[in-house]
Amino acid sequence: MKYLKIAIIKKVMLGTLICLFVISCKHTEKKYHNVMEKIEGESVNYKVPSESPSMINAEIKTVLVEEGETAFLIPERKSQITSYNCVECHTEPLRVLKQKQADKKAAHWDIKLNHANSETMNCATCHTSNDMGNLHSLTSSTIDFNYSHKLCSQCHQKEFKDWKGGAHGKQLGGWAPPRLSNTCVNCHNPHTPQFEKRWPARFNTEKVKERQ
Amino acid sequence: MSNNTKKWFSLNLNQSKKSATCSCGNNEGSCEEKTAKDGYSQVMDVSMNRRSAFKKLTAGLLIGAGAVSTSCSVIGGDESKEKSAIEWDEYFKGNYKLMTDKEKNETVNRLVRSYELRTGKKINMSSKDAEDDVLFGYAFNISKCQGYMDCVNACIEENNQDRASQMQYIRIHEMEDGKGFNFEEADDNYYHEVPAEGHFYMGTQCFHCDNPPCVEVCPVQATWKEKDGIVVIDYDWCIGCRYCMAACPYDGRRFNWKTPEVPEEEVNKNQHYLGNRLRKKGVMEKCTFCIQRSRKGQNPACVEACPTGARTFGNLLDPDSTIRWVLENKKVFRLKEDLGTEPKFWYYMD
Repeated sequence: MKYLKIAIIKKVMLGTLICLFVISCKHTEKKYHNVMEKIEGESVNYKVPSESPSMINAEIKTVLVEEGETAFLIPERKSQITSYNCVECHTEPLRVLKQKQADKKAAHWDIKLNHANSETMNCATCHTSNDMGNLHSLTSSTIDFNYSHKLCSQCHQKEFKDWKGGAHGKQLGGWAPPRLSNTCVNCHNPHTPQFEKRWPARFNTEKVKERQ
Repeated sequence: MSNNTKKWFSLNLNQSKKSATCSCGNNEGSCEEKTAKDGYSQVMDVSMNRRSAFKKLTAGLLIGAGAVSTSCSVIGGDESKEKSAIEWDEYFKGNYKLMTDKEKNETVNRLVRSYELRTGKKINMSSKDAEDDVLFGYAFNISKCQGYMDCVNACIEENNQDRASQMQYIRIHEMEDGKGFNFEEADDNYYHEVPAEGHFYMGTQCFHCDNPPCVEVCPVQATWKEKDGIVVIDYDWCIGCRYCMAACPYDGRRFNWKTPEVPEEEVNKNQHYLGNRLRKKGVMEKCTFCIQRSRKGQNPACVEACPTGARTFGNLLDPDSTIRWVLENKKVFRLKEDLGTEPKFWYYMD
């Protein structure tokens, strides 16, 4: 009798456990456990919207960057350079120009090079007197001013990779495709690429009062 | 339901008509009400005791009497009649989440007209719904933020925040290097040249959690998660109890202790019902990822204002978006991940 009772109790307990197990594992309300699962699950059937919202900053003249699988737009550069095209002044070799204009105010007087140190970089690292209208790479191949990121990426590989992907740099268009990003020189002056210290745009005097 | 425009004048009070679907279109969120109730039933079909019934009745009567006396008065002008008609309709309108597209349009038009009657200026107000295949997400690069606070200014102007009280959605915390995220010692109201030596900067705002605790606690369902992931507030349905403020583990919500005031010439006239339209005293508000901009394909104002590119915004469902690249290629983390709130706001470093 005793054993029978124990057996019955055991059966009942087992039954309760199974019931509990079945009830507690019912996932009827939510399809996904977390947001990463949700993103993965719902982007499987992602369709590029047929009518994309009107292009933001459409007035900016752009050029297309194609790097591997990514392709996006960057602002066109040449029309933004004040004294482009360079050959309009640079008609003769630099040496001759310097002699001729010795008594005149020097052009590019405001450019100070503060980019790496002088052992690593000087004017001729990026510019060449043989071809003033273009930039040139470390191996002296020609780089168009519109695609100056190719010049920067020779050293700044990590930043370049992040910029291509979208983790570095500022987006000019909206979030919706087509993507329009700032290129290196839109934020960094190539001659002094560091951001400068400045005062914050805001100070909350009320907050100071509240916390006193 | 849609063929009956002024439903609250009907006399068969307790027969709320049935509509096929919930107009919020959200079948996974917290919208449990499958029968869309009209504004009148939402107010009246609530079990209440005698005391609160008398309170509501008195309040309603006072407003009603005011409206009736103005609209029926012989001396009152057409404009004041229209004004009180709008006030009447606004008082008895329903929860935005349960409105049909037509009702949404009507309330937006009323608010635009009411602003015009008050100030003589035209505003644009949208009631644009979430689009399919869109889930908004945000990434913040801690290495890049320099603490300039341009984002804060842009946010204030874009979202018509009260100027005097300096209530702001975004906080930038100045933190000491090597101490991790120590909010106790961080300074969110610094004023010296930035970036300061030996410090880093991080911004917080509403993280638009995928499992938002603030939505759970709202006793009147005045806040909810939209299909595109934005957590919104119906300012006209909010009773100002501040439960959501207490429930938010990220200090993401703000309360209007006074009537927000924005100088007329500084009012951003591109508005959204759930976004930057002018609020009133005693309601909650918070970051909406600039819903009036993001639903048009634009980036939020903070993203556009940031001079360092520390802020990335995008569609999490688009495999080619920049935000997806950040999530897949950088070491990202979120604040208080162990709470299971699933914020859609990631931090990363270079």
